[in-house]
Amino acid sequence: MPSWIDIIIRSFVFLALLFFMTKILGKKQISELSFFEYVSGITIGSIAGEAITGLEKNMLQGMAAIIIFSLATLLVDILALKSKSFRDFIEGRGTVLIKDGKVLEENLKKEKYTIDELSALLRQKNIYRVADVEFAVLEPRGTISALLKKENRPLTPKDLQMKVPSEKEPQTVIMDGSILNEALRSSGKSRGWLATELEKLDLTLDNVFIAQVDSYGELTVDIYDDKLQVPSPSERPLLLATLKKTQADLEIFSLETHDEKSKTMYEKNAKLLQETIDKLTPYLSS
Amino acid sequence: MTIATSVKQCLANLKGIEAQLSSLALNSNDKGAQEVFHDTMLTIASVKKDLQTRVLELERLEPQYKG
Repeated sequence: MPSWIDIIIRSFVFLALLFFMTKILGKKQISELSFFEYVSGITIGSIAGEAITGLEKNMLQGMAAIIIFSLATLLVDILALKSKSFRDFIEGRGTVLIKDGKVLEENLKKEKYTIDELSALLRQKNIYRVADVEFAVLEPRGTISALLKKENRPLTPKDLQMKVPSEKEPQTVIMDGSILNEALRSSGKSRGWLATELEKLDLTLDNVFIAQVDSYGELTVDIYDDKLQVPSPSERPLLLATLKKTQADLEIFSLETHDEKSKTMYEKNAKLLQETIDKLTPYLSS
Repeated sequence: MTIATSVKQCLANLKGIEAQLSSLALNSNDKGAQEVFHDTMLTIASVKKDLQTRVLELERLEPQYKG
């Protein structure tokens, strides 16, 4: 057998083997979170490379080594699920490098990190002043996780005591011109609804590259022809504008009328509408 | 524009708002949003009712603007 045919056969066999092994090990292996997974990932890769090109050796030896390494990783993963102390031993624990805004030199020395390396890691997180950090941990994988001091964290609506509506994830209902039934079902819409919405936009199904439904049941589409302008949904901002106009109308009526009874009626309703507007604004302004 | 026509126009706007809120309440996926849309729809309905009575009164007072 010529050696190049051997290489082709070996390549496909090992591709299949590696594929199934990573399928069994799952996403955890890919993310290489722990030391063990990191090591086994590299080793499995080099064994495969060696076994494919090392033609003088038996292919089965390489396969056995890969299977052993994968099963060992799997076993460790299962044991780590069961026992916390085993987990700490195998996967390692994070080392606290900064606490209460102070660098812990002892721990830094223990991990053999210099202050330059620490600041480089912090810079990768867009932190340039050590004084801004409240707490930082060196993860087992060698990355750093830092918690900024409260005053240095980005402002959130919660800080401003703003009320924001909760939002569900948008569902992609059309992809490449075909309807995705499962997404359509989880967004709670029917094919008939989708057909009506597309007709409203003057589009046919095969024109649509991608279409998403947001949590308000509005459809956003992107079409193949980028020269065509598709209107973006503006129903809610328009509704808010109409509400404001109606509220203003009622106030005008209340000023214009001379009839005391209807004056109070208009005033009461203008106030009601104002309350409604305040309530709806977070939901209607997009 | 007479008062009667502008009140009627306002009434028509309110009807539109009510319909849109009801459709938003039906189309939203989020429970909280659904509730807010539904509640405000009911408020709008009560405002609408008040305005409807006023339109009838105006028509009685000024029959020439009836219609």
